[in-house]
Amino acid sequence: MPIPKTSKAFLSEAGDMARFTAKFFKQGFKPRYEVAEFMHQCFVIGYKSLPLVALTAFILGLVLTMQLRPSMVDYGVESQLPAIVGIAIVREIGPVITALIFAGKIGSSIGAELGSMRVTEQIDAMEVSGTNPFKYLVVTRVLAATLMLPVLVMLGDAISLYGSYLGVNIRATTSFNLYWTQVFDNLEFYDVVPSFLKSFFFGFAVAVVGCYKGYNSSKGTEGVGRSANSAVVVSSVMIFVIDLLAVQITDIFGFN
Amino acid sequence: MTQEKQLLQAGNLLQQGHMLVISHLYKSFGNNHVLIDFNLELKKGESVVVLGKSGSGKSVLIKCIIGLLKPDQGRIEVFGENIPDINEDELDQIRAKVGFLFQSNALYDSMTVRENLEFPLRRHWIQVAQDEVNKMVQEALDDVGLAHTVDMMPAELSGGMRKRIALARTLILKPEIILYDEPTTGLDPITGKEIIELMVEIQHKYNTTSLIISHDMNCVKMASNKVVILLEGKCFAMGTYDQLKQNNDPKVKQFFE
Amino acid sequence: MAKRLMDNAKLGIFVVSGLLFLVLLLYMIGKNRNLFGSTYELKVKFENVQGLMTGNNVRVSGIEAGTVKKINILNDTTIEVTLLIEKRMQTIIRRNAIVSIGTEGLVGNKVVNIVPSREPANLAVEGDFLSSQKNVDTYEMIQTLSKTNNDVAEIATGLKTTIQKINSSSGLWALLNDSTIPKNLRISVANIKVATGKAAGMANSLNELVSDVKSGKGSLGEILKDTGIAYNLNEAILKINKVGSEADSLAREVSELIDGVKQDINSGKGTVNLILRDSVAAAKLSVSLDNIQKGTDGFNQNMEALKHSFLLSGYFRKQEKKKQKAEKADSLPK
Ligand SMILES: Nc1ncnc2c1ncn2[C@@H]1O[C@H](COP(=O)(O)OP(=O)(O)O)[C@@H](O)[C@H]1O
Ligand SMILES: [Mg+2]
Repeated sequence: MPIPKTSKAFLSEAGDMARFTAKFFKQGFKPRYEVAEFMHQCFVIGYKSLPLVALTAFILGLVLTMQLRPSMVDYGVESQLPAIVGIAIVREIGPVITALIFAGKIGSSIGAELGSMRVTEQIDAMEVSGTNPFKYLVVTRVLAATLMLPVLVMLGDAISLYGSYLGVNIRATTSFNLYWTQVFDNLEFYDVVPSFLKSFFFGFAVAVVGCYKGYNSSKGTEGVGRSANSAVVVSSVMIFVIDLLAVQITDIFGFN
Repeated sequence: MTQEKQLLQAGNLLQQGHMLVISHLYKSFGNNHVLIDFNLELKKGESVVVLGKSGSGKSVLIKCIIGLLKPDQGRIEVFGENIPDINEDELDQIRAKVGFLFQSNALYDSMTVRENLEFPLRRHWIQVAQDEVNKMVQEALDDVGLAHTVDMMPAELSGGMRKRIALARTLILKPEIILYDEPTTGLDPITGKEIIELMVEIQHKYNTTSLIISHDMNCVKMASNKVVILLEGKCFAMGTYDQLKQNNDPKVKQFFE
Repeated sequence: MAKRLMDNAKLGIFVVSGLLFLVLLLYMIGKNRNLFGSTYELKVKFENVQGLMTGNNVRVSGIEAGTVKKINILNDTTIEVTLLIEKRMQTIIRRNAIVSIGTEGLVGNKVVNIVPSREPANLAVEGDFLSSQKNVDTYEMIQTLSKTNNDVAEIATGLKTTIQKINSSSGLWALLNDSTIPKNLRISVANIKVATGKAAGMANSLNELVSDVKSGKGSLGEILKDTGIAYNLNEAILKINKVGSEADSLAREVSELIDGVKQDINSGKGTVNLILRDSVAAAKLSVSLDNIQKGTDGFNQNMEALKHSFLLSGYFRKQEKKKQKAEKADSLPK
């Protein structure tokens, strides 16, 4: 059966990416470990993304609350606003929006950085300098992103909830204490744990896609741009796919 | 030729002071046959220029030598070790003794000049005292005359300066062989000439063996003991600059016009 | 080097604060689920737990006091529910406390309510069984409401036929036209008319309400806001039934009266005056009138009470407003 050219390209790309991921697991857990570079990447990928994540999370919490209020008032359950917003933020919006922002910032920067390193032979230079560039560049970034995104998600959740607290207080007055009590009262372990776990996968996907695209960038500055762009597009789509899988899996285990 | 004979020959060549022996090298990408039965020998202290048109496979050749590309067939012996056969650790040991100047310099954009220079040092020798490192960085920068740029980022430097820093980074490990990939391409003729002078100077100072890839006749004239013309994947012609200049083959002649 | 150290310190703060929030989140949830505090267990048997689940909250007099730990089916009519109660409630909950299952909000989570009894008793200790109370759940409520609606409709038709009988009875009209008849009889009959109108309106309203509730419209939330609804509803239904029986006796009274008058006329006892002169008839009529008077009064009173009942008050207010609006619209010049 003839396979159309585009799907053939897609499949071969998917296969390459899978192989790239397998290489990560093969190389990532063997010495030597690039600890210093890993720490540096954690700093760049995690800490440096915090302002952006904090800003978007804050606005999101605020806006979500203000948007939900009219309907809640209509149904006469305005007092449930913190509970609803809390669940929405912790379960879905916090992880997914943070991951998307993360894909936009980190995915593209990894794609562009590794792409330009590939194009200007910096990756070759590393290899010649006795460094395994895959370990030095890819493994550190993937690990850092995998571990940092959950931290960002948690902080993003906290800031989002604070934004939502201010949103609640625009029209009504709720004490901070009451707000937190209402939020926490309605949260369950199965709201927090799956969303925390899935953010590891989001981080992993963003970094693997970014590294893959950059590492295999084609020659020329145009190739770098394309790497950065497709890193963001592909990893954003991956985030939604993983989200879908995550909800299916938690559903199967009855955690919904 | 049997393998035994090959080994014997390699041993002989090494005794004669051969640093690098390439024999019957084949490399192709799909249907693009870049190197077809390429042969080359490089003796200690020699400076060989490989001349070829753009896209003729010069970079492929040099990347095969340093182990960045795996040849399809043939032997590449550096210090008597066949590069395609050895394992990663042995390859790293050889790479520590072989400098490589990249066509695009390959300076790490995210690091300062100092960090760029320290990078191969820290990588190849696990433990070096900090003041030792500082001294080596200083020395390498002095060699290329750019000691003041030590805390700058590569993006702040001009093209010629970047080439020098790249050269300093190559020099810092005191390599026995330096492979230059088009060292003057992309530079203005004056800067290019300065770089060639620097290369010659270093060659004399450290008594390194050089393999220079170029299509710049200035470079060929000034830096070479021997010239190899890479054409159609083969070692098409070989000789000194003057010998080749007398050659009447139109394919050779076109390089000297 | 120093910069690297600073970076690592910042990174440390960043990671630690993220993890702290996670821990806080999990701790707060755990605290709400009583995973960490010291607790003791109490047990209750129910016939029907109405979708109660493990982890649902337990409230003592409305205060969060624990969670449902386990739900065990003992046999086809008994379900044993194990409650995990905070230790601080040990000095509050007594053995005769009543346990019921309610809802947080109308469609919210189920909640176990422990209501202390007023009688003295020993404090409940680990493993004690408390007694349960059967509950009216939303579905049952709607069912009852439906039935009530039918009852009211019946009352209304009953009353209507009574009025028709009165209207069509020439004898009675003759009687009423007679100036010697006490004024209050006329008023009584008028009252009956009003009552009928009210009952009919009530039937319609209830009908609407039930269909609204069944189709899940907004009034669901408006009317049935409270877990206490069961009591109010029962009260309302009792009243409606009372109205029904009153209307019945009223109707009986009137028709007896009419029958009596008819009979008298038919048996040739002569004119109304004649009847009234008959002392027996006069006495009987007098009693009847009295009863009718009382009946209509009671009926009206109950109707009013029903209207003001907490349960349906909001609904009727809305209905009235609508009516007023419609009237206003009608009265506007075209
Ligand atoms: N990694 C690669 N994959 C496929 N083709 C390559 C690769 N590297 C080089 N080539 C091809 O090999 C040929 C020689 O390239 P190169 O050695 O870079 O030329 P130059 O002599 O200008 O340095 C070119 O046709 C190029 O397309
Ligand atoms: Mg080249």
